[in-house]
Amino acid sequence: MKSSDLAALLDEPACDHNLKGKTGCARPTPGATAGGCTFDGAQIALLPIADVAHIVHGPSGCAGSSWDNRGARSSGPTLYKIGMTTDLSEQDVIMGRGEKRLFHAIKQAVDRYSPAAVFVYSTCVTALIGDDLEATCKAAAARWGVPVIPVDAAGFYGNKNLGNRLAGEAMLQYVVGGREPEPPPVDPVRPDLRVRDVNLIGEYNIAGEFWHTLPLFDELGLRVLCALSGDARFAEVQTMHRAEATMVVCSRAMLNVARKLKESYGIPWFEGSFYGINDVSAALRDFARLLDDADLSARTETLIAREEARLAVELAPWRERLRGRRALLYTGGVKSWSIVAALQDLGIQVVATGTKKSTEEDKARIKALMGEDAQMIEDGNARQLLNLARQHRADILIAGGRNQYTALKARLPFLDVNQEREHGYAGYQGMMTLARQLTRALENPVWEAVRRPAPWRVLPSPASRRGAGVEGRLEVRHG
Amino acid sequence: MQNADAIKPGYPLFTGEDYQATFERKHVFEEAPSKDKLEEVFCWTTTEEYKTLNFQREALTINPAKACQPLGAVLCALGFYKTLPYVHGSQGCVAYFRTYFNRHFREPIATVSDSMTEDAAVFGGQKNMFEGLQNALKLYQPEMMAVSTTCMAEVIGDDLNAFITNARKDGRVPMDFPIPFAHTPSFVGSHTTGWDNMEEGVLRYFTLNEMEGKTVGGNRKLNIVTGFETYLGNFRVIKRMLKEMGVEYAFLSDPEEVLDTPADGEFRMYAGGTRIEEIKDAPNAIDTLLLQPWTLPKTKKYVQETWKHTAGNNIPMGLGGTDEFLMKVSELTGQPIPDSLTQERGRLLDMMTDSHSWLHGKRFSLFGDPDFVTGMCQFLLELGAEPLHVVCHNGNKRWAKDLTQRLKDSPYGQSAEVHLGKDLWHLRSLVFADKPDFLIGNSYGKFIQRDTLHKGKAFEVPLIRFGFPLFDRHHLHRDTTLGYEGAMHILKTLVNAVMERLDEETMHMGETDFAFDLIR
Repeated sequence: MKSSDLAALLDEPACDHNLKGKTGCARPTPGATAGGCTFDGAQIALLPIADVAHIVHGPSGCAGSSWDNRGARSSGPTLYKIGMTTDLSEQDVIMGRGEKRLFHAIKQAVDRYSPAAVFVYSTCVTALIGDDLEATCKAAAARWGVPVIPVDAAGFYGNKNLGNRLAGEAMLQYVVGGREPEPPPVDPVRPDLRVRDVNLIGEYNIAGEFWHTLPLFDELGLRVLCALSGDARFAEVQTMHRAEATMVVCSRAMLNVARKLKESYGIPWFEGSFYGINDVSAALRDFARLLDDADLSARTETLIAREEARLAVELAPWRERLRGRRALLYTGGVKSWSIVAALQDLGIQVVATGTKKSTEEDKARIKALMGEDAQMIEDGNARQLLNLARQHRADILIAGGRNQYTALKARLPFLDVNQEREHGYAGYQGMMTLARQLTRALENPVWEAVRRPAPWRVLPSPASRRGAGVEGRLEVRHG
Repeated sequence: MQNADAIKPGYPLFTGEDYQATFERKHVFEEAPSKDKLEEVFCWTTTEEYKTLNFQREALTINPAKACQPLGAVLCALGFYKTLPYVHGSQGCVAYFRTYFNRHFREPIATVSDSMTEDAAVFGGQKNMFEGLQNALKLYQPEMMAVSTTCMAEVIGDDLNAFITNARKDGRVPMDFPIPFAHTPSFVGSHTTGWDNMEEGVLRYFTLNEMEGKTVGGNRKLNIVTGFETYLGNFRVIKRMLKEMGVEYAFLSDPEEVLDTPADGEFRMYAGGTRIEEIKDAPNAIDTLLLQPWTLPKTKKYVQETWKHTAGNNIPMGLGGTDEFLMKVSELTGQPIPDSLTQERGRLLDMMTDSHSWLHGKRFSLFGDPDFVTGMCQFLLELGAEPLHVVCHNGNKRWAKDLTQRLKDSPYGQSAEVHLGKDLWHLRSLVFADKPDFLIGNSYGKFIQRDTLHKGKAFEVPLIRFGFPLFDRHHLHRDTTLGYEGAMHILKTLVNAVMERLDEETMHMGETDFAFDLIR
């Protein structure tokens, strides 16, 4: 990949922070940055496209380490779950046999699985030895008659975010516009309903949560042409250019796709979230607004009123149990504010939130929700998170799986809101799940047991007890 | 039909068309009800109506969740040094006990009987006892024989004390050869009662008349009485914890070695076990700890009244149970609980936090001996799991009251019901009426799993094997259920059962495998 192309991508004009004299995405800091690489970002952005053969061109570790490590659900094909790699050996690297191997790998994938398309991901090794991914893919597509899409996003290009963006670029360059959508379906009950086509970008259907919101779209007569990339099919991605509105669900990832869809095809877009009642309602209203459809607007309001009324009743007992609890939130992007709103809605006080992957706009929203003095965590290493939790007397840490065991060591209840989670929290229905899971995490008897020091460590006299591990005190020994 | 080139075992052989056709033809001549009728009755046995009728059952016990006294007596006797368990009564019973233990421990079990027959039933069993003791001593050269009885001897009222004394006087066994004994009729209590009786018999035999010069705390040791314990790991973990605390101990019955001999070409009829000197020295201990106190009333009474020990502790199972036990040991001996155990405790807690979300709110029905179910319930409550049906065939009312209270005190025990004196057929009705997520119990629980599955996959209650006997899985008897280590093992088994079940349900390709995840 050309350095100029990379620079252009880093300088995403739709990102607010690029307007303020500061340009480009943050570079990784050696020795102080944890997180995935560009390859990982590209792979996770596209892997949920279910009927595609995803081939990782490189040594086996890149595919092996990333194989099936996110809970994106498919309602149909499971081809995306099959880990494919060219598994380059030392000899392949020395002898430059990478391209040949890839060519044959594509053939085997096509022969055996008849995929809708093949996506080929480059890795550090194949980028370094100079394999011509694009040419190989082009040749293979011509030879085997199946679209073969190069995703040139080697690990060393930068951080995970760049990978998301490169993946989006690849879709725009090679896939979007490849097919016209079917004519809109006619609902037999509502034959006059005008079906409007929309896109969702950055909705990964983690734990199947998109299926909480999809029925709402169906009811409103909004056809989701493509959710990039949760439960998506290759053919759906091809039709994205025909949508009438786009929602960017996970803010920074693939913002470029929304922007370019607008530039090239004039599709308006907005950023939104499906976490929390207000955000779901706002997202639905935004669609109605962008589509400028009075009838849709009216129907949207009816649906929102109905769902909000229903939830108010169903959530009441849970709100009762959760009121006044204090949460420390550490997650990325849109979730840094949208989950805040969801938690506040449940009566939970959010004491701090992570903003490592948040835009300036995200931060502004956080301030609007949590007040000007909102504690934002820019870089949350384990020790710092635990210190903050102690400082703010947090009852629970809500974060990604990587921080789970840190929280548990500090005897802090934990709720996983990242890709490995078991439960979907999106949509109105997701709020019920969130409330229930939060309650469970907080009320589990393990916490009481774990915070109580070993009974023999509690000395009998009150004076000496003060020194010996007060109940519930957090001990941070290791970072 | 069987083919000599590819011999098949009974399953799958009998699933072949030819055998199935035979079964069909045979069915016609059996005057059996039609398959539809069988199915209809099966379905009826899963209803609430049937459950009500089932619980009105008075006379018949179906699938008892207990075994008989002499079985326990034999296990207790196996735990003493060079001791031959000797059962006065009919030999069939003894054959049962040996197979029982063979199948559970996968070890040879040396136990003799004096083979009472009809003449013995008419004239009393003294003659059999004379010959039996004489022959057994000569053949197997034990250094002690521990005598228990079967129902037959008990019904005719054989007096063990008199018979043994007579045998000595008659020169059948030396006057000073140790022969402790216990009356263990099967029609009273259960296997745990038999263990208790034999233990009390042995302790009484060696110490009742030798209490002079004994002082509580004289030898700075702790006595450990395990009760009917079939997990080898439990003997080992208690010893390890005591060693780490620097506490000297004596297990009063310790079959850990004889039930786990190596395959080195040598057959050991006897291995390890508690020596007579240790029993004689036992009253000098600081205290006697009973690991299954609910099933050891006689032993408890004896050590309290004769040895003046307090013998007041609970089963060291789960987190709190183990804490309590270690504190007790520390309090009794003055030895501090070492960092190594504090560390181990912390590791257990770490595991509990790691897995809690998977076990929270999962509902478990369980059955087994009183202390086991109490300990298991305690640990389930500590994990946020919910005990549902607790069936215990051989507990007493005080035990049931105690456990009911413990369950009532926890938010996770609110839906629990304690069923005392009920059998596995009752339990079957219970799990049909209100389905738990899992059943915890011994191998016999597998038939409940089969029956619930027959009603439909949605009704299936998978069995998690804990308890005794465990016949249909290998080596589970080596595991540990006591101490922090035991809690770790239980936790691991439970949480993985949850995940295995989830995998089983979500591995249907194209149907449920959207949730067939690599990472759980």
